Amino acid sequence: MSLSLSQKKGLSLPKPRDLARYIFSLPFAYVGTVLLLLFAYYTRPALLSPLLLLLIIRQAAPLGIVVLGQSLCMRVLSLDLSIGGVIVAVSYILTSGVLPFSEPVLVLICVGFGLMIGSINALLITRLRASSVIVTLAMAMILSGIVISLSQYHAPSDAPEILRYIGQKRIGVFPIALFVWLAVLIPSVIFLRISVFGRYVDAIGANPNAAWTSGIPYIWVVTIVHIMSSLFAVFSGLLLVGFVGVGSIDIGQDLALNSLAAVILGGVTFGSGKGGVIGPTVAAFMLTFSFNLLTSLGLGEPGKLMIQGGIIAVAAIVYATRQAK
Amino acid sequence: MLVLETGADPSMEGPVPAVEFVEITKRFGSTMALDTVSIKGWAGSVHAITGENGAGKSTLMNLLAGVHQPDAGCISINGTPLKLENPKAARIAGISTIFQELTLLPNLTVAENMFLGREPLKTAVVDRVKMRELAEEALARLGSQISVDAFCGDLSVGEQQMVEIAKGITADAQIFILDEPTAALNTPEVEKLAELISRMKSEGKLIFYISHRLDEIFRFCDEVSVLKDGKYVATSRVSEIDRDQLVSLMVGRELGELFPVRSTSRDQAKALLNISAIAISDNTPEVSFSLSRGEILGLGGLEGQGQRSIIRSIAGIEAFSKGEIRKTSRETDIAVPITPTIVEVAKAGIGFVPEDRKTEGLYLTLSIAKNMALGMLRELSVWRRARVRSDHIETLLHKMRVVAASANQEVGALSGGNQQKIMIGRWLASNVDVLLIEEPTRGVDVGAKVEIYNLLREFADAGGAVLITSSELTELLGLCDRILVVRGGALVAEFEGTEATEEEILHAALSSTAENYNKKEEVA
Amino acid sequence: MSSIGLLHSPGRSGLSLVALGLPVLLFVIISLISPSFLSVQNLSNVNAQITALLIIALGQMIVAISGGIDLSVGSVLSLTSTLLVSVDPTLSIPTVLLVGVCVGLVNGVGVAIFTVHPLVMTLASMTFLQGLALLILPVPGGSIPGFLEALVDFSFLGLPAAFYWCLTFVLLAAFLLRATKFGMRLFAVGANAQNAARNGVNVTFYKILSYVLCSTSAVMAGMYLSARVASADATMGASFALESVTAVALGGVQLAGGVGSVPGVIAGTITLGLMTNGMNLIGVSPFVRASATGVLLLIAISLQPRKAIGA
Repeated sequence: MSLSLSQKKGLSLPKPRDLARYIFSLPFAYVGTVLLLLFAYYTRPALLSPLLLLLIIRQAAPLGIVVLGQSLCMRVLSLDLSIGGVIVAVSYILTSGVLPFSEPVLVLICVGFGLMIGSINALLITRLRASSVIVTLAMAMILSGIVISLSQYHAPSDAPEILRYIGQKRIGVFPIALFVWLAVLIPSVIFLRISVFGRYVDAIGANPNAAWTSGIPYIWVVTIVHIMSSLFAVFSGLLLVGFVGVGSIDIGQDLALNSLAAVILGGVTFGSGKGGVIGPTVAAFMLTFSFNLLTSLGLGEPGKLMIQGGIIAVAAIVYATRQAK
Repeated sequence: MLVLETGADPSMEGPVPAVEFVEITKRFGSTMALDTVSIKGWAGSVHAITGENGAGKSTLMNLLAGVHQPDAGCISINGTPLKLENPKAARIAGISTIFQELTLLPNLTVAENMFLGREPLKTAVVDRVKMRELAEEALARLGSQISVDAFCGDLSVGEQQMVEIAKGITADAQIFILDEPTAALNTPEVEKLAELISRMKSEGKLIFYISHRLDEIFRFCDEVSVLKDGKYVATSRVSEIDRDQLVSLMVGRELGELFPVRSTSRDQAKALLNISAIAISDNTPEVSFSLSRGEILGLGGLEGQGQRSIIRSIAGIEAFSKGEIRKTSRETDIAVPITPTIVEVAKAGIGFVPEDRKTEGLYLTLSIAKNMALGMLRELSVWRRARVRSDHIETLLHKMRVVAASANQEVGALSGGNQQKIMIGRWLASNVDVLLIEEPTRGVDVGAKVEIYNLLREFADAGGAVLITSSELTELLGLCDRILVVRGGALVAEFEGTEATEEEILHAALSSTAENYNKKEEVA
Repeated sequence: MSSIGLLHSPGRSGLSLVALGLPVLLFVIISLISPSFLSVQNLSNVNAQITALLIIALGQMIVAISGGIDLSVGSVLSLTSTLLVSVDPTLSIPTVLLVGVCVGLVNGVGVAIFTVHPLVMTLASMTFLQGLALLILPVPGGSIPGFLEALVDFSFLGLPAAFYWCLTFVLLAAFLLRATKFGMRLFAVGANAQNAARNGVNVTFYKILSYVLCSTSAVMAGMYLSARVASADATMGASFALESVTAVALGGVQLAGGVGSVPGVIAGTITLGLMTNGMNLIGVSPFVRASATGVLLLIAISLQPRKAIGA
């Protein structure tokens, strides 16, 4: 139909307009990344050197991993803001030295811990029907409160050898973290594409009431999503701890908000049943790149927060208006 | 042949109609809700707007009430074309609407609800004393005993409807819209309403009376306009038309053409689904009945009498406090109790089709294929691969005569009838053998209605069973093998579809003396 | 009456025995455990701690009744604090009020007109405003205008200023909710926006107004707290977003909208304040107190089952 319209109006007009419409319909992250790279090309070309780009990718990997969980949560109309708390707890488990176990066992404990937190979140959200934002924010508060008060008695030590290796070393020119990211990302994409679970996630996102009345195992799906999100947070925490090299009480604190921003930028919105994994992944890179760019331009923490907040608001408004059409 | 008038009757008209709809057109998505409809309403008269469900009655009135705006055409009030941009503008223009769905707020008191949006003020403060007085006065006019300080959430549906009506008449309006006002009223309440309407008429008001109840149209109204599938059919003086003529105008065809032939495959001995003594709560009546293989069973009665709760508790959506539901398993032919949660009910092979397609039924932003495929996944674990046979879907779409560009089209873009088919088709694709359907043809055009009826009959003939709720008597009488009438949450009468009449069903639905169905069963 | 009946009294106040009894119970327990609790010094301390929270919680209540939530209140409080020490003293009050109104407008327009989920919208403004506050005042300090300090440091009829601050805002909120058409319509919008609209209520306007009032209350709390502390801090309000939601939820305000009352919010705020103060007296680490607030929040919202699952 648009074709017949454009033919009437002549040849010069329609193409850019259709192109603009197409670009407008893409997730923010794609256009944003291109614009950012262009901007960097003119202002800070050094950032575009392959070496630095790979470093930025390594830095983006922890965010990229939690974004997978956050986008799943958002697609089933939930949110997970407990990510920061989980990561702090992981850091404490690994580096406090309180638990007298070998490194692999510690890692397993972290995974078990993620399972537990995800399950508690899910339980409160699905059974008690409490708001996911409040539940997970409270969870983050509880976890970081406990870890910080416990940390007063133990100075954090070094991260386990193997994690530091994964977080800091590279194979050839490529950082290992990139491979870890891909190793989590690719199976997730495939699983969501082909599994019954992926279909159900779409269905719940598109119309939760319909999903409920048509007998889809709603509670089970939301539970799995929250457990997955906590597990992704644990993986991300393992990577971060290895990357930083030592334990810390403010490690990964901005990941919850950043992942939310990335998911929105990546084209996932509440209540449309649309949006995949690739958009948010690109957005994770875009955000990390933009923070580096901001730092190199001399804007510190305040600027970062303002841009983060601005991005979430603008993207959310744009998507909401787009959906209303 | 009857004389159809579009003009006025000299005995009761002013020079200009109080309300004139001029070539009104309204679309919702791809659905043509109203197609160049023109109707005149005169001051000092009661004007019935009638037609089947989905004919466009409510849409027309929503335009007059300012809830929606027409896509084309205009509305003139006393000869002046007006733009009614929102409900407030309509109120200012002297139009008061009593909506079909209750619009009361549960957390406001009766008095507050009646004056919400036009609160009497004393300087900046709401004048609660005056508000209560006015509210009491209005309720007294209706002979109602409802306390003006009660929260509306605590009222019964019938009481809420009385409050709606009282709210409508407190408005200083010249034009009143009553949209199915008697749906939840008992007989004495209807009498009060009748009195009130005739008083308003004598005060020179125009009343639009939306109803598909023939008795009320013939009793209350001066003129009647018929809509069908969004199109204007005719306007006539009520005194110049009889029931049969009106029905044939509404339906536009004989009943026989509408419904498929009832089959003989119904096997009364073989209960597919057995509902024994379920009760929603401790103080609601117990409900027992069974659904046989090959049968289409209808739950009828006035709206809001508990049909919805019954079908929803069988579907596992509303919890019930006692009783049991057994379903005969397809494989073993043994009746086993079902855990009443939606997921378990669906696993047991029972599909539920809700009344509200948009909010509860369909995934409007997903494609037809995805909507249908979700049914096919029912028996798989979430970790399994979603194997969807697209040829299977294509065949089913073809069989159901779904009109769409392709299976990848978004469901939201389809017409009401096609959406309804998709909703039913989702369950057909998933091999259930019991369908629970609320209002199977609400908002569906006549053509699609026939196709849906055929689809359901075919499903039953193939060994399935269907339970429907319906507020359309013709549908119950034409489609169902058996009809159960629900009143006050209890089953009060049972009819064979071939033997029942409209009058009998209505009588059972209204009468307060009808014997308890369950007791009758026990005796027999 | 069943236990459910106790938790969910009819009407729209949301008041329950739990909401009203909890602060009393806490009061008794704490005064038994820690004798110094009942000293005049400590009680007026408690009052000061609670005042800012109460003012914000009343604003949060208004948004919650309309069916929304405002997580940006803490950042607004911080921003107010930084602005008070950064602009000319004569302009300080108009400036912070204007900022409050603007923030409320942005939140409200985003939620009501662009239909962004309130949590997402206010999370975004929370982040943005926190950044702005840090930009304005990277290190804590500065001096608050003298007249503001006088406003929080007087004593009248033997009662401290904090009492009068609380009283003013409590009366104001109660008047708005009970006596004005704004209050009635706010409850209507929160219970069912569509039906409210059909009754001629301008839903968009009232939603936006509720966010504006909430932000303004955060500005007020910011003025009070900054003047009490007599200096500014760009992270002063960080804990208030969740604490105000906790206080409101404890007070029986339904976060789904349409139910809530001023007495409930007072009770909820006192509960939270007493708990914090009690832990303080016993000598519990402030970080554990944060955890305890989290637990309390979880309990409070678990007492309010909703229909929907998710955000």
